[in-house]
Amino acid sequence: MSLLEVSGIEKSFGAVSVLHGVDFSADAGEVVGLVGDNGAGKSTLMKIITGIYTADAGAITLGGEPLMHLSPGERRAMGIEMIYQDLALARQQDVASNIFLGREPVRSILGIPFVDRAMMKAQAQQMIDRLGANLPAINRNVGSFSGGQQQTVAIARALTFDPKVVIMDEPTAALAVREVQGVLDLIRQLKEQGITTVLISHRLNDVLSVTDRIVVLRHGTAAANLVTAETDMAEVVSAIVGGAGMPDAAAHEARG
Amino acid sequence: MTKPVTMKTLAAAAAVAVAATAMPATAQAEGEYGVLMKTLANPFWGAMGQGVEDGATEAGVPYFVQAVESDQAAESQLNVCNTMLERQPVAMITAAINSTNLLPCLKAAREAGIEVVDLDGNLDPTILEAEGIEITFSIGSDNVLAGAQGAEYMVEQLGADATGPVLVIEGLSGNVTGQKRAQGFADKLAELAPGLEIIASLPGDWDRGKAANITNDILTRNPDLVGIFAANDGMALGAVESVFAAGKGGDVVIIGVDGNSDAVKSINDGRLTASVAQLPYLVGKQAVENVKMALEGEDVPTSVIVPTLVLTKDVMDAGTEPLLEFVK
Amino acid sequence: MSSTKAQQKGLWSRLQAGSIEQLHVRLESLIVLLALCALMSVLSPFFLSVSNFMNILLATSTIGVLAIAATFVIGAGGLDLSLGSVMGLSGVVGAYVGVTMGLPAPLAVLACIAAGALAGFVNGTIITRAFVPAFIVTLGMLGIARGIALVISDGRVIYGLPSAMVFIGQGRPFGIPMPVIIFVVTAFIMHCLLAYTRFGRHTLAIGDSENAARSAGIAVDWQRRLLYTLSGALAGLAGLLFAARINAGDPTAGLTYELTAITAAIIGGTNLFGGRGSILGTMVGALIMGVLQNGLNLLAVQSYYQQMAIGAVLILAVFIDQYQVRKETRV
Repeated sequence: MSLLEVSGIEKSFGAVSVLHGVDFSADAGEVVGLVGDNGAGKSTLMKIITGIYTADAGAITLGGEPLMHLSPGERRAMGIEMIYQDLALARQQDVASNIFLGREPVRSILGIPFVDRAMMKAQAQQMIDRLGANLPAINRNVGSFSGGQQQTVAIARALTFDPKVVIMDEPTAALAVREVQGVLDLIRQLKEQGITTVLISHRLNDVLSVTDRIVVLRHGTAAANLVTAETDMAEVVSAIVGGAGMPDAAAHEARG
Repeated sequence: MTKPVTMKTLAAAAAVAVAATAMPATAQAEGEYGVLMKTLANPFWGAMGQGVEDGATEAGVPYFVQAVESDQAAESQLNVCNTMLERQPVAMITAAINSTNLLPCLKAAREAGIEVVDLDGNLDPTILEAEGIEITFSIGSDNVLAGAQGAEYMVEQLGADATGPVLVIEGLSGNVTGQKRAQGFADKLAELAPGLEIIASLPGDWDRGKAANITNDILTRNPDLVGIFAANDGMALGAVESVFAAGKGGDVVIIGVDGNSDAVKSINDGRLTASVAQLPYLVGKQAVENVKMALEGEDVPTSVIVPTLVLTKDVMDAGTEPLLEFVK
Repeated sequence: MSSTKAQQKGLWSRLQAGSIEQLHVRLESLIVLLALCALMSVLSPFFLSVSNFMNILLATSTIGVLAIAATFVIGAGGLDLSLGSVMGLSGVVGAYVGVTMGLPAPLAVLACIAAGALAGFVNGTIITRAFVPAFIVTLGMLGIARGIALVISDGRVIYGLPSAMVFIGQGRPFGIPMPVIIFVVTAFIMHCLLAYTRFGRHTLAIGDSENAARSAGIAVDWQRRLLYTLSGALAGLAGLLFAARINAGDPTAGLTYELTAITAAIIGGTNLFGGRGSILGTMVGALIMGVLQNGLNLLAVQSYYQQMAIGAVLILAVFIDQYQVRKETRV
């Protein structure tokens, strides 16, 4: 049994059926790429795993524990973290507030639980240092940071609470080349620590270079499940667009 | 009309303030009169403020006038009142927005030995007694009487045996003045001409547009409407517009209360039938004169009723009525 | 590069940062308040006295409590236009329970707060459950609450509250008016709630980015409903303070107060679109307005000019605020 098991997920928004029976799994320490065309349902599937959306049908387990009935907060507590494409940061709050949002440590004064700002700051600084990131100042509002710096905060938030599974939605889409390498290195580090990563990306070169396995979503189902070491760009592309042998599209992708 | 009053008030008030700043000791020794109005953004209150100022100037007493932004700003008025006490006036002449909003301030004023005058009779004697506040005197028009005078004039026009529907447009819901006027009108009408039936008595919230809408609605239901009584002139003028727009000008007797300049114009134009004039200028002027007498140790009646006058085209054309002088 | 810049900050910037970090108040607004006090002291010999200071606090108490409510709701990206009406309703309900029904004072006091909280709970429930925008729901409640107040009181002031209730409005333990004590204590508690508890942090996070708050596992809808209920309860408290002060439930009390309360919150640095705000800041905002009004009253300047002055201060405050934000934030 895999660490994360997703089976038979169905989801419609009104009359539009987005997912019809998706099966998906990831082992501990495995890096799984999730690819597919725009509208294939990648983000929807991941948001169902984190609990932001509720599925119409299907089951999800983490380490054998069913979690369909849990709230997003409870699923985070179980170890499922997601780095959203839009980063989902509170831009007027500082770094520590963002990292600890929803999980602020408290200190009881006269029986009243007050947020422990000092501890938050210290731990936030630690995590930023561990990531080797360069932020201007930890007490500044996140909105004043560059895109890459904001991404660092989002990553730090995902990693601070010892996650089991980290889902990254297009983490490299908005980054400069040097910063992309940083993210890919990070994913390799996570793998060494035994953390499972699900990488959603349009940049197939990145996906091929860092993943163990690639799952292709097409028209709301898992159309292909490929072992990265045994596949190539052409096969992935043809699985995405559907229809065997699309050498033109593959060649185009290979050129980047 | 309102604007010059406003600017003049400000200038006078500023002058007093400067004087007070320069020589606070002198100002205190002479004893200022604090005047707290509702608002000056209305010809009625403007005229009363003018009366107070002219009265004070004639009597040679220093005074300062304050007002709030609207005649519904009950708490602001209380706050302003408290602030005015800081200047330690010898008398507070107050036109309270309602019967209770100024009570704590007036209580404090009395405890500090300041004479308190109820301008325009907004305070309720029973409440004052319960609070243990003894005011120097209350001055104003009798609003019940004003309503009754309106009814008398309407009956005079239509005849005691007249029949037909009559509309009453009340003031703001919850306002005592409007309630008294409407009540005075209704009681007197029932007494003098039982055939005239009040088919609706609705709150126009002192709002001209609202009164016009009410009149429209009622005219649709009762095209044979014979009379309208509105608790102030603004609303009466709104009713006039609706009646004339419906082509019934001259068929409906329309009576307002206040006698303000707009109403006078409308009466002269033959549109508004009559207005029960309250002579606010006289109220203001007399208030100052009386409080001066009280401060000098003379006896002043605790309740002064300033007469009201039914303004009609005939009365104004004749021009012989002595009270006309005070219609501003 | 940026970190060296941070080290080279001047005294002014460090004071600015310190003020925000420690007091959650913009330094500029504190300075405006102090400057205003200094100016008024020079202009009027009556300004600088303990009794006048109490006047200012007393005059600020009802609006101040409403402004606290506004800070929470606006901080969470919402809006409560029903504050003034709910305040009026609460005072009337309290007077009805205490006078018309003749029940004991503690029940009447409770009824004030409960009536406000109930109105707020209805607001919050409709906003989160029926997905009607807060602007519309609270605008509707503005009319409904005022109407209910007029119906209950039959459009008249309900006079003569139980004496224990009047003490809340007119009592002066240690020479300090009770409304001032209640106002200051409420502000202190609410400041701690907003600045130092998870509830408060989550409130601002929701206003900052609802998406971020949901992703972080915060029960956004539940919290919203709580916030509107809190807002209503505070409006109820304001209604109690005012009714107790004038010894009567006035159905027209609090007319357009929501706008004044929102103004105080904005002058105090609350972001109209949510995500930023502090109760201390709001108190400074409310006091700026209170001092301005008191000073102009002492100078016997007409109310029309006071409204102009407050309007100008509002625009100026937001201008300074935006200037700072633009300096700090990449857009």
